[in-house]
Amino acid sequence: MSPIDVSDETRVKKSIFNSSIEDKRLHWSRLQRFKTTHRLYIYLMGSLAILQIIAIMFFAKGFLLTRNVLDDVATDVLSEQKFSKCVILVIDALRFDFTIPVNSADHKYNPNYHNNFDVFHTYGNESSSLLLKFLADPPTTTLQRLKGLTTGSLPTFIDAGSNFDGSVIEEDNIIKQMYLHNKTVYFAGDDTWDALFKPFLSPSSKPFESLNVWDLDTVDNGVIDFFEQHLLADAAKSSNWDILIGHMLGIDHVGHKYGPDHFTMKEKQLQANDFIKQICGKIDDDTLLVVMGDHGMDHTGNHGGDSRAELEAALWLYSKQPKMWRNFDSSYYNVTSLGESYRHVHQIDLVPSIALLLGLPIPFNNIGWPIEEIARTGEDLDSYRRITVNQIRDYNEVSKVINDPRKKEELEELWNSALLDSSKAYEYQQLFLESCKDLWARFDYSSIATGIALLTASLVLLIIITKLIPSIVIGQMVSEFVPSITIISLISNVCFSGIFYVLHQPAFLGNWFWCSLLATAIGIISGCLITILDRYNASWLCRKFVEDLSDYWSRIAALFITLHALLFTSNSFTIWEDRIVGFFLATLGLLTLYEFTFLPKRRLTTALLAAAMGERRNSAQGKQPLESISESPLGRFARLVGAYHSVVLIMCTRLASTITICREEQGEYCQATFTTANNYSYWSLLLCLVVIAFLPTCVKGYYNVCSSYQAAAPIWIGQFLRWALLVNFVYWAICALENTIPGFSWDVKILKLTISRIIAGFSLIAANVGWMMGPLCVKLNIHNNDVKSQQATILGYTNVYGSQFFLLVINFLLCIMLFNKPLAQISLFLMCNQLLSLLEIFDLLKLKENLIGPVAMGLLAYQQFFSTGHQATIPAVQWDVGFVLTERITFPFTHLGITMNTFGPHILIALSVALLTLWKQPPTVLKPQTLLARVVSNCGMLLIYNTVLCLSSFVWVTHFRRHLMVWKIFCPRFMFASLTLIVIQVVIVLVTIAFASGRLIRQINNLFWK
Amino acid sequence: MSVKKRATPKKSVSFSDDETITRSRPSSDRKHSVSRDSPPIYVKKTIRTAPLHLLGLLYYYLKLSDNFDAVTLLYLLVPFQIAYLSLQFNKSTVYGHKILRLRTSLVPICLGATLALTIPCLLIIILLGAPIAMLLKETWILAAHCCLLGFPAVYSIFNCNFKVGNFKKYFIAIAVGCWISCVVIPLDWDRSWQEWPTPLVVGAYLGAFVGYSIGPYL
Repeated sequence: MSPIDVSDETRVKKSIFNSSIEDKRLHWSRLQRFKTTHRLYIYLMGSLAILQIIAIMFFAKGFLLTRNVLDDVATDVLSEQKFSKCVILVIDALRFDFTIPVNSADHKYNPNYHNNFDVFHTYGNESSSLLLKFLADPPTTTLQRLKGLTTGSLPTFIDAGSNFDGSVIEEDNIIKQMYLHNKTVYFAGDDTWDALFKPFLSPSSKPFESLNVWDLDTVDNGVIDFFEQHLLADAAKSSNWDILIGHMLGIDHVGHKYGPDHFTMKEKQLQANDFIKQICGKIDDDTLLVVMGDHGMDHTGNHGGDSRAELEAALWLYSKQPKMWRNFDSSYYNVTSLGESYRHVHQIDLVPSIALLLGLPIPFNNIGWPIEEIARTGEDLDSYRRITVNQIRDYNEVSKVINDPRKKEELEELWNSALLDSSKAYEYQQLFLESCKDLWARFDYSSIATGIALLTASLVLLIIITKLIPSIVIGQMVSEFVPSITIISLISNVCFSGIFYVLHQPAFLGNWFWCSLLATAIGIISGCLITILDRYNASWLCRKFVEDLSDYWSRIAALFITLHALLFTSNSFTIWEDRIVGFFLATLGLLTLYEFTFLPKRRLTTALLAAAMGERRNSAQGKQPLESISESPLGRFARLVGAYHSVVLIMCTRLASTITICREEQGEYCQATFTTANNYSYWSLLLCLVVIAFLPTCVKGYYNVCSSYQAAAPIWIGQFLRWALLVNFVYWAICALENTIPGFSWDVKILKLTISRIIAGFSLIAANVGWMMGPLCVKLNIHNNDVKSQQATILGYTNVYGSQFFLLVINFLLCIMLFNKPLAQISLFLMCNQLLSLLEIFDLLKLKENLIGPVAMGLLAYQQFFSTGHQATIPAVQWDVGFVLTERITFPFTHLGITMNTFGPHILIALSVALLTLWKQPPTVLKPQTLLARVVSNCGMLLIYNTVLCLSSFVWVTHFRRHLMVWKIFCPRFMFASLTLIVIQVVIVLVTIAFASGRLIRQINNLFWK
Repeated sequence: MSVKKRATPKKSVSFSDDETITRSRPSSDRKHSVSRDSPPIYVKKTIRTAPLHLLGLLYYYLKLSDNFDAVTLLYLLVPFQIAYLSLQFNKSTVYGHKILRLRTSLVPICLGATLALTIPCLLIIILLGAPIAMLLKETWILAAHCCLLGFPAVYSIFNCNFKVGNFKKYFIAIAVGCWISCVVIPLDWDRSWQEWPTPLVVGAYLGAFVGYSIGPYL
C-alpha cells in the first residue's frame, strides 16, 4: 500500500481502490452483465407473480359467490293503504339489548349501553308501539344490510368487497317503489344511501360522509338538523315530504372507535333517545314511524361477521293511532336475560311490511314475509299473506332460480295448499327462502379447479426455479426463460382467443378478459417448463428435491410448512392460528438454543461449519492472527452469542404474543389485550416512549457486532429513526388524549394530519430517495500514524451489504409504525429484535442458504401479524387507520394506510428476507450474480412458504364450502392468504429484487472490486 | 447440496456456487479421538428398560382417577420411578465396562435435583405459550411430571460423572411427547381431558415410554 495522506479520506479511498485500466474494463463488463441478468431476473419473478395473481383471481371468481340480479319491477298494488306518510330512522348498530329494559342485577348489565333507550317502552295504549328483535343476515356490513333492508333479498358475500364504493342499486326496491308511486323521499345521513338510491331521493336530501369512524357527531347532528328543519320545527308542517329517512351513525362509530363500553356510548344513546321522543311528539296520525338498527356490534364494537351480537338489531314500529298492531301474547316479548327468547323477525321481512302498510307493491325480488303483528284484523292478515305469496311465486316463476325438480315439486305442492289456506303460505316462503340461500351459495367449480391447478403449477415452478436448479445455473438460464415465456404467452393468447371466439370453449370463462388471463397463465407455465425440461429431466428434479430435504434444518423447515398448511384442515386450528404460530416460532428458538448449547454432531451442519471455517482461514491468511481453532466448529464465544440470540428470540416471541385481539370464537380462553382502552392507556404510551429510546439502541447493538455503526448508520438510526418515532409518538399521544379525556374540545385535526403526512412523506419518499443515494455504513479507520507502517482498516467491512440494506427496512418500518396503534408499535419493536436475532442465528449456524431461514422469517411475519392486533377475520381489520393520512376516503392514501397496517409485518419480512443472504456478507467474496441468485433463491423460499399456505387454504375452503363456519372462518382465512401472497409477491419483485438488491449489489461492487 | 456423495477426493463437477463447502471436508479422525480417553457410557439394548409402569399409571390417570387428578398421579409416580430406576434402568446402564450398583444416598439428591429442574422446565413451558399467571399451579405440576419422568436419566447423569451426552435423548423424548400432544388442545371437542395440562401429561408419559423403550437402540 502506498503512503497516504491521513487527512484526506477520498484520496485514501482512491489509493486503496486504484488499479489498472484492464481491470477496470473487466469490472465494467461484468457489471454490465449483472445489469442484464438483473433485469431478466425481475422479468422472470414478475411473470411468476403474474401467474400466481391470475390463479388467485380465478379461484376468487369461482368461490366468492355472486347472485343474478333481475331488473323486473313489481307493479300491482293490491293492499289498502294504512299510512300515507312514513318516517324511517336507521340507527346504525342499534343492537337489540340496547333497546330493552335490562335488570341492573344481571351480570351482563352495563350502564354505558343498557337502559338508555326508554322511548321504546314508555308508550302505552293511547298509541301503537311494537318492538321486535330484528335479525340481520350476514355479512353485517352496512352496504349489504341496506340492500337487504330495501330489496327484501339476500346480498351475497362478494358485495362486501364493494362496501367502499356502493354503486346505484339496480334491483327493484322499496325506495324505488316509493319514487314510482309519486312519494317524495327526503333523506339525511349515511352517504351510502345516496350512492345506492340517488335517482329516487329528493334533491333536498343531505348525505354525509360515512366512513370516517373517528367523527362521532357530524352525521348525527346533520340528521337532527335536517329533521328539525323538515319535521320538528313548527314551520316545518308545510314540508312536502311523504317519506323522511334518517340514518344516524354515532352509535356505530362509538363502537368502532371505543367499543360499546365507553361513556360516549351513553351520551350518543341518550341523544338518539331524545331525538326519537321528539319525532314521536311531532308526527301526525297518518304517519308511520320506523326506527331500526341495521346490524348489531360485537364486544369490541365491530361488525361484519355473523355472531349473535352482530346479527341482533332492533326494530320499532310506532303509530299515533291506537290499536294499529295486533300484538301477540306478552310471553313472546320476554326481555329477561337480554331478551334471549324475544320474538324475532328477519330483516328481509321489513320490506313487505312497509310496502303493505303504505299500499305499495312489494318489490319484485323480495323473499321476506310480512310481520304478522301489522295486520289489524284476520282479513288483513289473510290478504297480506296472499299478496306476499303471490309476489314470491311471481319471482320464482320469472327468475327460475329453483332448478332441482324435487324442490320444484315440493314448492308446487305447498303453493297449492297455500291457495286453499293462506296460513300455509308461510311454509311456502320458508322453503323458498331456504332454497335460495342454498342456491346463492353455489360455486363455479371450473374456475375453482383452474385456480387451484394454476396455483399448484406456480408452486412447482417456484420450487424448481428458485430451489432445485442450482442458483448459478439459473443465472445463465434466465436469458432463455424470458424469451420463451414471452413468445409462448403470445402464442397461447392467440390460440385461446381463437378457440374462444369460434367455438366458445372453454365456456366457463365468460368473456375475453378471463380467456386472455388463462392463456397468459398457461403461456407462462409452459414457457418455464419448456426451458427447464430442455436441461433437466423430471427424475433428476425429483432426486434433487429429496436431496434438498436431506439435512436436519431443511426437514425442520419442511415440518413447519406442512404443519402450518395443515392448520386449515380444521376450524379449531384456524381459530387458534395466532397461538400456534407463536408456538412454532418459540419452538424454533428452542431448537437453535439446543443447537448452540449442545452442538450435536450432524453431518451436514458440521460440514458446513467446517467449510465456513476453512473459508475464514483462507481469506484471513497472513493478515491477522487466527483465533485458536478449537475442536468444535463453533467457538465458545460464538455459541454464547448464538444462545443469547436464541433466548432473545424466544423471549420476544412470548412477550409479543401477549398482545392479542381475540377472535370471537376463542371465547373465554382468550383475554383481549389489544383493546382501545389499553391502546390509549397511559402505560402503553409510556411503553411507546421506552420503545423510542430503545429501538435505535437495540438496532445499534446489532450493527455494532460488525462495527457497522458508521457513516450513514448513525444518521439513519440515531437521528431519522429516533426523531420519526418521537413525532409518531406525538401523533398517537394526541389520539390517546382525544380518546381518553371526555370533552376534549381542541381541534387537533389539522395538527394530526400534518404530523402523519410528514412522517409518511418522509419515510416513504424522502428516506427512500436518500437510500437510493447509497448510504454506506463503513468508515476508514487509519491507525499507526507514524510514517513507516500505515494501515487502513475499513470498519463495517464484513457487513457492508447487510447494514445498508437494513436502512431500507428501517424506512418501511417507520411508515408501518405510523399506521399501527401503540400496542402494535411495541410489538413491532419486538419484531425488530426477533428479526435481527434470527439473522445473527442463521449467520452463526451458516444456514444462510437453508430452507429454514425464509421459513423462520415467514413464521415471524405471521406471529407479528397476529400480535399487532389482527386476526384473519373481516371485523378485525383496523379500518380506522385508513383515516390517518386523510379525513375522507381518498384512493391511494386510505388504502395505503390499511395495507400498511394489515400487512406491515409481511412487508417488512418480504424486504428483509434478502438480508438472510446479505447480512454479514463481506464484499468481494461472491460475484454479484451469485449474490443476486442467492437473494432470489431465499425470496423464492418465502414465496414457496406462502404459496403452500395459500394453496392449502384454497383446497380446504373448497372442501369445507358447505361447512357451517365457511363464511366466518375459512373464507376470511382464504382471502387473507391470497392477499398476503399478492402483497409479498409485489414487495419481493418490485422492492426487494428490482429496487433494492440490484442497486445495492451494483453500488458495493463498484466500490469494492478486485 | 450433495456433500455426501463427494466424500472421495476425485475430480467432480460441482453445481454449488460456493466452492468452500466442497473444498474442505471434516477430518474423519475426529470422532475416534473423543471416545479414546473417556470410559464408555451406554444403556444396554434390552427389553428390560421398557417402563411398563408408565402405561399402568397412564391407565390409572385416564380411566380410574376422577377428573384427571394429576397431583395424586405425581405422588404415585415417585415410588414407581425409583423402583424402575433400581430394578430396570440402572441394571442396564453400563459405565466404564461395568454396571454400577444403585447408590441409595444419591437417590434423594437426584430427587432434589429433579425438583430444582422443575423451575427451568416451568419457564420453558411458559415461554412456549402456557398462560403466565393463570393456572400456574397446573403448569408447575406438568413441569414436575416431566422432570420426574426424566428422573432415571438425571440419576444416571449424576452417577456417571455428569456425562450428559448419552442421556439427553430421554429428555428430548419427553419434550417431543409433550410437543406433539399439544395438537389436541385447540380442538373444540369440549372434552374434560382437553383441559390444561391433561393432554401434555399424557404426551409426556407416552414420550417417556417410547424414549425409555427404544432409547438404547438410538
